[in-house]
Amino acid sequence: MKDRVIAFVRERAAIGAPGTTPRVIEGGASFAYVFGTVLVFLLVFEAATGAALAAFYSPSATDAWGSVAYVQDQATWGWVIRGLHHHGGGAIVVVAGLHLVQTAMAGAYKRPRELVWWLGLLLLVLCLAWAVTGFVLPWDQAGFWANKVELGIAAGTPVIGEQIKALALGGNDYGNLTVTRFYTLHIIVLPAIVTLITIAHIVLARRHGNTAVRARAAAPRWPDQAFRNALAIALTCAILLAYVVTQHGAELAAPANPSQAYDARPLWYFRWLFELRVLAGSGEKLAAMIAPAIVGGFLVMLPFLDRRPGRGVLTRLPWLGMFAGMLALICGLTVMSFSRDGGDGELAKRQAAAAKVAARARLLARTNGIPVTGAIDVFSTAPMWRARTIYAQRCAGCHEDPKDRKGPLIAPGHGNRAWIKGLLEDPSADLYWGRTKLVKQSLEAQQREAASGGKPAQPDDGPKDLAMKPAPYKGAELDDLVELLYAQSGASDVDKSKATRGSALFESACTDCHSLGEGVAGASGPGLAGMGSRDYYTSFISNPKSPIHMTEDMGQMPRFDKELSLLDRDAIAEYLVWLRTATKAELDALGPL
Amino acid sequence: MGDKDPDRRRFLQVATCAVGGGVGIVVAAPVLRLVLDPAGRETVTSPTDPLDLGADTLLRIGEPPRRVEIIAPLVKDAWTASHNVVLGAAWLRRTGPNPGDVDARSAVCPHLGCAVGWDPDKGNYLCPCHDSRFSVTGDKLTGPSERGLDALPIKVVDGRLKLTWIRFQMGRSTSEPV
Repeated sequence: MKDRVIAFVRERAAIGAPGTTPRVIEGGASFAYVFGTVLVFLLVFEAATGAALAAFYSPSATDAWGSVAYVQDQATWGWVIRGLHHHGGGAIVVVAGLHLVQTAMAGAYKRPRELVWWLGLLLLVLCLAWAVTGFVLPWDQAGFWANKVELGIAAGTPVIGEQIKALALGGNDYGNLTVTRFYTLHIIVLPAIVTLITIAHIVLARRHGNTAVRARAAAPRWPDQAFRNALAIALTCAILLAYVVTQHGAELAAPANPSQAYDARPLWYFRWLFELRVLAGSGEKLAAMIAPAIVGGFLVMLPFLDRRPGRGVLTRLPWLGMFAGMLALICGLTVMSFSRDGGDGELAKRQAAAAKVAARARLLARTNGIPVTGAIDVFSTAPMWRARTIYAQRCAGCHEDPKDRKGPLIAPGHGNRAWIKGLLEDPSADLYWGRTKLVKQSLEAQQREAASGGKPAQPDDGPKDLAMKPAPYKGAELDDLVELLYAQSGASDVDKSKATRGSALFESACTDCHSLGEGVAGASGPGLAGMGSRDYYTSFISNPKSPIHMTEDMGQMPRFDKELSLLDRDAIAEYLVWLRTATKAELDALGPL
Repeated sequence: MGDKDPDRRRFLQVATCAVGGGVGIVVAAPVLRLVLDPAGRETVTSPTDPLDLGADTLLRIGEPPRRVEIIAPLVKDAWTASHNVVLGAAWLRRTGPNPGDVDARSAVCPHLGCAVGWDPDKGNYLCPCHDSRFSVTGDKLTGPSERGLDALPIKVVDGRLKLTWIRFQMGRSTSEPV
């Protein structure tokens, strides 16, 4: 037995064989032999572009996305190199596939070249794994979610699945150690292994010499075959470059966000497995394991299945037919997967939304930089993000315009002259206090009074009419009063003489209820000192029912001094001041939250 | 075989080298361009506006120099933006009775960039790395440094110390900003 194994290996490794001359191509130079050399070129190509990318990449969960976004959007030609590196991986799979087909067609897997064939299959599997380890490195939504699915499948491996997953993750969950481990696999472990096996594969292939595809005279490798190889490499390079330029490099989705669902799709060369899982339904994990095992098993066993020495295509039709069938199935499933996505309108909508989020993240990263808390917080660098986020959560329910609004509308122009004028003309209008309890109770009280024929109200009648009445001014006088109130905000464009005239009007018509004294409550209504200024808003938001603001009787808005920090209240106040001079377009230009 | 036709063989050799060289250049050029890119950029920003170091009453005549940390409100470092980043330190000293009579020296040793400390026993500055000593006014005393401590622009505005942070070339006899 031992002797037989040794003899088998000696023959397959061509040890002690009377050496064919590796400088000669049997049957003449041919484009059929270019694929191996193109693959070697692509490996070197990936190493060169990868080294340049590694000079920028920062392997940590907080930094990875930012460093990749920097290469993609800021470093000169960074997107070209990243695109070449990404799609170069796809090129390796394509060329390796062609290499495999050529080898199978030529029957070059047959004795004594089985070892070369197996090493080649191993290299193909390793290159696929290599691509998987690279896809997660940008730590974007696309790579992150694809990796989650891939490790989920790996975790389904019988017996050792969970261990594989924990080892790959570097612990119990996605984090810094996940990035560092995949990075190590991608730039150290797999390159080293692939390099060694590639050398073994080439050395063995040279020892055995090529399997002639034609009955012609032998030709020297240099320059006859080398010239064809060079042309094939140039063609590969040109296609790759053209593709990268038309695609503007490789996709970079938004930073990985475990809380935000994403339509995860694997790299295109795994799409056939993805489609198989969809078709398999509940048996998806089984399909994901068994299908590659069948394809891999067949390819590994091919030298044993097809044992006859003849290499003619016609004599091997059953085996080549099975090979071609598998290949056609893989291609068909790939096409099905893409056409399934292409026909899914809902998916297209979700993908368009995800693309918008990605574009926003990249724009913010370019203009503001990424907070040290991590790439996912890049969204918080948008202008007034904190204030707008709190506003959306805590304020918009009562102050924005859906039909169940309970308070005054807050919109661009809030607190400007036109807004104040409108308030003075009709405080109970829908835009102002119209939807508040204050106005509704006032209307009830008025109806009660009308029904009772003008009898004075009794204490137990219910709520009183406390709502503000329109200011008794029109035209220039009204404008003067508006200017006085507008001046309270501290705006820089106040017309002082108008405001001074407004003071006299205020004294005669408003002071029964209101006051303009600093920190002073009105006789029966809100104090108006500083109205529309940042301090005023902070104070109002802190406690709207304070005696200097709406008072207990008239106020409806809850106090926020316990729920929101002073910093947050001040941030909202700053936002409200900004809104005074803002337009709808400017508000929209701040971008989504 | 090619040997039978030396012209064709020669042509193939030249053509192969030409195509191979072309591919090499096409691949190498963008790779090199990307790797060289940061060399021509300000990848780490440094504040150019004066930084507030506190009230000028911190400094009194006759007291030894006071060390203050220089903290940048915002530093953009390639892709990250960090707030309140410590850039280094400066030594501040009052030189006269007027509010503006203040002197600021970078704590970066002009020799090779170590952090210069104050030696209260000798009443002068000492760099711990190579024992350069500087007088209280910043002049070079002993040791390998080729110049005295670098002066930093400082002003007093409304009672606040406002310092402009500058990094200087090291190992030269004159003060030149980086």
